[in-house]
Amino acid sequence: MARDKQKRSCGQVLAEWRAFVWDPRSRQVLGRTATSWGLILLFYLLFYGFLAGLFALTMWVLLQTVDPHVPKYQDRLATPGMMIRPRTETLDVAFNVSAAETWQHYVRLLHDFLEPYNDSVQAARNAACRPGRYHEQPDEAVPNVPKRACRFARSALGPCAGLGPPGTAFGYAAGRPCVLLKVNRVINYFPGENKSINVVCAAKREEDAARLGEMAMFPPNGTIDLMYFPYYGKRVHVNYTQPVVAVQFLNATANEDHHVECRLNAAGLRADDERDKFAGRVAFRLRINRD
Amino acid sequence: MEEKYGTSISKGLSSARAAEILARDGPNSLTPPKATPEIVKFLKQMVGGFSILLWIGAAFSWISFGIQFAQGAESPFDNLYLGVVLALVVILTGIFAYYQEAKSTNIMASFSKMIPQQALVIRDAEKKELPADQLVVGDIVEIKGGDRIPADIRLIFTQGCKVDNSSLTGESEPQSRSCDFTHENPLETRNIAFYSTTCVEGTATGIVINTGDRTIIGRIASLASGVGNGKTPIAIEIEHFVYLVAGVAISIGVLFFIISVSMRYKILDSIIFLIGIIVANVPEGLLATVTVSLSLTAKRMAKKNCLVKNLEAVETLGSTSIICSDKTGTLTQNRMTVAHLWFDDQIYSADTSEDQTSKYPFDQSSQTWTALSKIVTLCNRAEFRPGQENLPVMKRVVVGDASETALLKFAEVVLGDVMDIRARNKKVAEIPFNSTNKFQLSIHETDDRNDKRFLLVMKGAPERILERCSTIMINGKEEPLDSEKAEAFQTAYMELGGMGERVLGFCHLYLPENEFPDTYPFDTDSMNFPTSNLCFVGLLSMIDPPRSTVPDAVSKCRSAGIKVIMVTGDHPITAKAIAKSVGIISATSETVEDMAKRLNVPVERVDRRQATAAVVNGMELKDMSLQQLDEVLCNHSEIVFARTSPQQKLIIVEGCQRQGAVVAVTGDGVNDSPALKKADIGIAMGIAGSDAAKNAADMVLLDDNFASIVTGVEEGRLIFDNLKKTIAYTLTKNIAELCPFLIYIIASIPMPIGTITILFIDLGTDIIPSVALAYEKAESDIMNRRPRNKSKDRLVNEQLAVYSYLHIGIMQSVGAFVTYFTVYAEQGFLPTTLLGVRVNWESNAINDFEDSYGQEWTKYQRTYLQWTGYTAFFVSITIQQVADLIIRKTRRNSIFQQGLFRTSFLTPRFQYWFVAVPFAILIWVYDEVRKLFIRRYPGSK
Repeated sequence: MARDKQKRSCGQVLAEWRAFVWDPRSRQVLGRTATSWGLILLFYLLFYGFLAGLFALTMWVLLQTVDPHVPKYQDRLATPGMMIRPRTETLDVAFNVSAAETWQHYVRLLHDFLEPYNDSVQAARNAACRPGRYHEQPDEAVPNVPKRACRFARSALGPCAGLGPPGTAFGYAAGRPCVLLKVNRVINYFPGENKSINVVCAAKREEDAARLGEMAMFPPNGTIDLMYFPYYGKRVHVNYTQPVVAVQFLNATANEDHHVECRLNAAGLRADDERDKFAGRVAFRLRINRD
Repeated sequence: MEEKYGTSISKGLSSARAAEILARDGPNSLTPPKATPEIVKFLKQMVGGFSILLWIGAAFSWISFGIQFAQGAESPFDNLYLGVVLALVVILTGIFAYYQEAKSTNIMASFSKMIPQQALVIRDAEKKELPADQLVVGDIVEIKGGDRIPADIRLIFTQGCKVDNSSLTGESEPQSRSCDFTHENPLETRNIAFYSTTCVEGTATGIVINTGDRTIIGRIASLASGVGNGKTPIAIEIEHFVYLVAGVAISIGVLFFIISVSMRYKILDSIIFLIGIIVANVPEGLLATVTVSLSLTAKRMAKKNCLVKNLEAVETLGSTSIICSDKTGTLTQNRMTVAHLWFDDQIYSADTSEDQTSKYPFDQSSQTWTALSKIVTLCNRAEFRPGQENLPVMKRVVVGDASETALLKFAEVVLGDVMDIRARNKKVAEIPFNSTNKFQLSIHETDDRNDKRFLLVMKGAPERILERCSTIMINGKEEPLDSEKAEAFQTAYMELGGMGERVLGFCHLYLPENEFPDTYPFDTDSMNFPTSNLCFVGLLSMIDPPRSTVPDAVSKCRSAGIKVIMVTGDHPITAKAIAKSVGIISATSETVEDMAKRLNVPVERVDRRQATAAVVNGMELKDMSLQQLDEVLCNHSEIVFARTSPQQKLIIVEGCQRQGAVVAVTGDGVNDSPALKKADIGIAMGIAGSDAAKNAADMVLLDDNFASIVTGVEEGRLIFDNLKKTIAYTLTKNIAELCPFLIYIIASIPMPIGTITILFIDLGTDIIPSVALAYEKAESDIMNRRPRNKSKDRLVNEQLAVYSYLHIGIMQSVGAFVTYFTVYAEQGFLPTTLLGVRVNWESNAINDFEDSYGQEWTKYQRTYLQWTGYTAFFVSITIQQVADLIIRKTRRNSIFQQGLFRTSFLTPRFQYWFVAVPFAILIWVYDEVRKLFIRRYPGSK
């Protein structure tokens, strides 16, 4: 079976390769004539052109069938998630009180985040709604009419509103940092079954509660008013202002890690999904260093 | 002698002494060829094929797990699991392939285990039956007709002993054995009987001189194991395929590794991409599928009497382009049968088929026939073994030599109960056949009560019989044997001889009553009765006739482009006659000698190239140079090698292989084993074959029938076709598995399909259809194609890869991506939103990821959506694979020509099922158009 291949010298191999790349006798490039290459390229051009066209067509058909205002399915978003601000890459709030450069960026992030909550903006764009109940705006005759958003007063966040003198800086300079909490937007979501909802924060483990110290919630009690719900989607609910709750850590023990968990306290909301650690709750690490 | 072997001829060895020698020399059996240790076989399965690539993937996974774990990342265990899964895949497929191999090896093992042979030994002055492997040097053994010689034996007493050395030397004539030392060469001398040969008749006693591997056979068998055994064509094809796919996998992997690194991906991420690309490219389930397909075919072949020792040999048989076949037993029935009769100056042919279906085709009314039949019946020492009355005549076992058996069966079929006829014509005297007289004679009473004469009947070599005759019977009347009648006899004799048949002459004489009364004392030594001036009655000729299925099988080979070469130890004339009757030499073709005869010119002046057929004698072959042999093999399409020794078989096989042919060789003798090993596929005979031959062969023909080889060829070709379909089917989805990775890296979209999902497709949903393709019926007529050209018609060629990868594969990918985008769009992420989101999408810290509608998603919600995407992608690949399966059912025919079977291996679980359906239909339509073009314009690329 083992038949020796004919031994060829290096030069022959090279010559063969050269002949393969360009064979002047049959005028072939890489084993094909120019016409043959042309036809092959034309074929693939047409073939892939056709496929691309088909792809574009089916995508177009797909987009035609998709409602631009409300997604077809929302089954994955049954429980809205929660998030903190300032948001960093690791869900940490860690800084040194005496070194301003370690917390400056948190302050900047919070200022940026609260920009749209300025009274001037709110007053200009949003309506004053009746608090304590859902602000429903059903479509009457015309579908998808633009919806009004309800005003959120930045001042309701108290010391965490960042409205004081620049030095106060959300309490970071004083070692009493503010962290903002928000509930993820989900279209047509009505939290709390018509009862008021609020956010509560605590140390993740009860035994750490003492070291974490006191916390102040703004608005008081961490309440989120029902008038900010439901959300109608960014297309019709253009100026929607997401309600925010602030938590200020008043005397957290310095130089150690605190694991804080805040959860949305609303009737009919389950915030104990084992796999989704951010469904209806948020956990983050807080560390305040002092020299 | 006694001294040399420390034994006593009368008493034999003592048991104690024998035990001592046995301990020293070991048992008297051939050491089986050294088998590869099981663990090595197992490890080979673990690292063969794609396993290395997957091991590398697993290693990378573990490395990245280690790094991530050390860095304290949040979910490093994904990579650990991936590595474990990859390793499991390799190990499980390895175990599976090993198990399949082992199972087919076991079939062989059970087959070769035969009933232990017994030998009659004199030990402690007693005769004992001992298992043959307990024999030691110096034992005295007794042998009788029908026994297998248990060891190499120096004979010390013989009585009419003849041995059949064909398994050793290839000579089919039994050779007589005596106590006399006749030749220096142990192979030539008459006083040694060899291990594993058989004693045909007579009895003998001898001293064991060699046992086990030290016997002549043992030495030859160990020689055979030295002949290298190359890779089977399918192994080469699969290797080629593995290289091709691995090459693609590695180059794409490395290319995208470089791209992703230069796109500022982290090295660790790039490594994970690399693993994904490798896993997507490697058809994990394919090698297992190939093994399953081969073993299914092997099973099917076993049912058709082809036992395959090496799974890969299944396909080798299909690519065979030359079959070197034995004559005796393979092409022929291996029993002498009366083929022709000559009496009343006329040749009649007898029925030679296995089952004697045609009835009395010759004229039986003539008185001459009555006389002839009487001689045939009476002048015959062969007898049926008792207790076979219910068997058909041709299947009964006969005690007696081949010619006598043929005559006995012939008489039994034509006349009825021969034993009864013999009983009614009591035998009074007999001279058995011997090589000096060349005749056999017996004298009988007649069954006619009124006729008190004795009947002398005689048969033998025709010319010797004729010499003893003065009259000849024509139409029942005795007529003087004049020169004209003698001439007629000569013509008939030459004609029958020219057909390669063994001719016997028959004559008789009624002894006059007055000279030989009832009580006449016949004495065979003094021959007190006439043995000349007899009455010549007729001639009978015998041949070992071809099996009835063989001519058909040979013509099938011909239309399948397979050259059949007959290699036999027989006489050229016989060989040529059989070759002509089975079609190995077709009716119209001529040998050089035939042409010379026809043109009436000397052989030298004939243009050798014009002769299509050739009969090459072993003596000529011995003097040929390799070039001359090549020339013979090249120039003649119909070749018969006659009078060849088994050693020359090896030369012929090598000659054929030099022509680039895939050669199948049949053989039965020990001496055939080098040729069997050398051949691309060695085929041993199950009935006539020796153990050594079976060991050396890749395949065993259970019924020794040539036609079974042809069935095997058909199966082999079918499996090649079907494997091609399986591979085409399997390769297609690789692109649909690969594209997601590439687009994921380039466009930074959420991962469309996960590595584990890919493994699930490859090893789960795709295995059954792949195996189903192996069951596909033969397309058009595969036996009308030429054997595949090893260098051109590859299992995986450029066209197949291009068509699978660049045409169907791309279509599948497009279809799968449409499904993917649909899933995401309907959940809130429109296609435009998805581009470039990868980093944020995969960030654990971002739990308010905004979709196209302004909604915010946590990481887990996104991951869950991603899994939905995997499943949808998976489903759409699977649904499109259904279309792929349908199109792969045929290579050229339209599906509407082949017929569609229901494929129902999917259960609907998702609405996303249907997204890919238009693409599946597109794939089908596209392929139908392609097949239409191929049928319309065959031959073009």
